[in-house]
This record gives sequence, structure tokens and C-alpha cells, in this order.
Amino acid sequence: MNNEACGTVRELIPDFVGGRLAATDVGVVERHVPDCAECAAELALARVVLASRLAPPPQLLERLLRSVESVRTQPARTWWGISAAAIAALALGIGISSDPAAQIPVDVPGYAYEVEEGDIWLSDDGLVAGAPLFDGLSDDALLQLLDELSGGSA
Amino acid sequence: MSVRDEERLGGDPSDLELVHAGRSGDDSALGELVKRHHAAAYRVAVSLVNEDDVAQDVVQDAFIKAFRALGGFRGDASFRTWLLTITANEARGALRRSSRRKETALEDAGPVQSEAMGPAQAAVVSQEAGRARAMLERLPEKQRLSVSLRIEEGLSFKEIGEVIGSSEGAARVNYFHGIRRLRELME
Repeated sequence: MNNEACGTVRELIPDFVGGRLAATDVGVVERHVPDCAECAAELALARVVLASRLAPPPQLLERLLRSVESVRTQPARTWWGISAAAIAALALGIGISSDPAAQIPVDVPGYAYEVEEGDIWLSDDGLVAGAPLFDGLSDDALLQLLDELSGGSA
Repeated sequence: MSVRDEERLGGDPSDLELVHAGRSGDDSALGELVKRHHAAAYRVAVSLVNEDDVAQDVVQDAFIKAFRALGGFRGDASFRTWLLTITANEARGALRRSSRRKETALEDAGPVQSEAMGPAQAAVVSQEAGRARAMLERLPEKQRLSVSLRIEEGLSFKEIGEVIGSSEGAARVNYFHGIRRLRELME
């Protein structure tokens, strides 16, 4: 038993039994194991563990593939959707004069038009959304915001 | 150096390419990710919840969560590691909800063979496999997952650490302690 060689081989054994090892390392394992009872025992154990690996029930794959379709048909609201709502409320609240139809994404929910600055609400996917507060924003930050909302023309 | 599953040869798209295609609305790319990784996700789920029907629910929830969050997947970890981490979290959540663990009820699941062996060696390994599975269940969770993920799924210790919520070094320690304990139990 050679501690250094054993350490190397024991690191390689899982990939050796899984057929994931490069050819040079396969040789390292194959040359070492016949002369090392400890590593041979560990190799045998790894083979048994791998052989005990469970296969998923056949119906699971079909079920999962169906669920992929449900992901597409019921899209979750994403952070940019909520941001769009907040930006829409912001844009309306401060009277941006550019054409909103051209600036605001079409999925902005209707309730965005009724909220007051600082209001928060629970959206239909359970996330907290709301209109932003302007308190504490510097003049530069407000100007940058205006610039972004007006498409860079402010 | 190991040859990783996601480093596909022969023109098959990588997982990352499938993720990009899936983000663009390609359902077949998502389907391919399901085909590649559902077995590993199932094994992680079973290892934690120890019940077939609960494990299937966990895997389905994990894939749905992963695909809905695909826009936030940055590729820092491999898709598989990311999915298995979500699966493990879902499984722990299912365990917390049920607050119990039942005896194994895995009639539809069965062992699979991987390495090419001679008939005599295969017979011995097959005979021992059922016992090994039972002994694995007796290991502490992190040791059990570390052994399973390293040998059965070929994850690196860094990836195992991400799945079990520990450092790379802790994953390595858990693996070797698990192997040593398993050898003792099998003797």
C-alpha cells in the first residue's frame, strides 16, 4: 500500500466505475488496484453502489415533458414585468410627455394606473410590487431616471 | 481528468446551448434537458424523501422552478448542478411539509447497470446491490448524498458542495467518511 498512490486512485475510482475517466487515468487505476487490497475493496464497493443506482419510473419522463408545456402556457411574472409596472406608474405620475404606447411594454397591468407613489400591493403571483418613492433621490438620480424614461432625450 | 456528460461529442448541443434555446422559446430544448437530467434529479429526490410518488412530485416541481427561472441562470454552475440543487431544496421542503419519512416504496424503480462486466462479476455485484442500497439509506444525509452524487452522477466535490450546501472540502470529507462507513456496514 502506497499512501500517495492510494490517495490518487481513490479520487479516481468513482469516475473509473462510471466510465468517465480519460484513458491515461484508467491506466493509473488498472495498474495500482491488483497490488492494493484496500483500493481493490473500495473499487468493488463503488461498483456495487453504482449497480444499485435506481432508474426512474418509466412514466416520469412523459409526465415531466407534459409539465414543460405548462411552463410555457402559464408564464410566471418576472422581475422586469414588475419593474415595468412600477416604471409605468412612475412615468404617468410625473407626466412624461413622450408617447407611452411606444415606451411601455404591453404586459403592464391595469392596476398600475391607480396606485399612488409609495403604495405597495401584492401581485397575482404573490410578489410585493409597488410604485417607487422619490424621497431621498438626488437631483442627479432624478435626472437620470427622467432620461431613461424618456428614451434618452431629456 | 473525467469526461463530463455535458461535454457532448458528435454535435449534440451542450446543456448551456439548450438553456439558451429554451430561453428563446424552444420547447424541444427544454425537453432535451429533461431527458438528460431527470434520472439524476429523481435519484437525488428519492435519496432525500425515500418515497417514489413524493420524489416524482419533487422532480416535477424542481424542473418547473428551474425552467421558470431560466432567465436568471448565469451559467456559473453547470445546469445539472443547478437543477440538482433545486431538486435537493424541493425535497427538503417536501420533507418539512410531511414531517415524516416513510419506508421505501419504490416498486416501479429498479437498479440500472452501467459498467461493462463479465457475467460472474455482474452476478456478484447485482447480488450485493440491493444490500448496498439499504446500507446507503443508513448513512447521514450529507454522506449519503455525497457518495451517491460522486459515484452515481459523477459530480465533482465542488459541485457536490453546491448541492448539499457545504464547501468543496466538506463534501470531500463527507464522501470519504460515507465510503468508510459503507464498507463497515457491508462487511
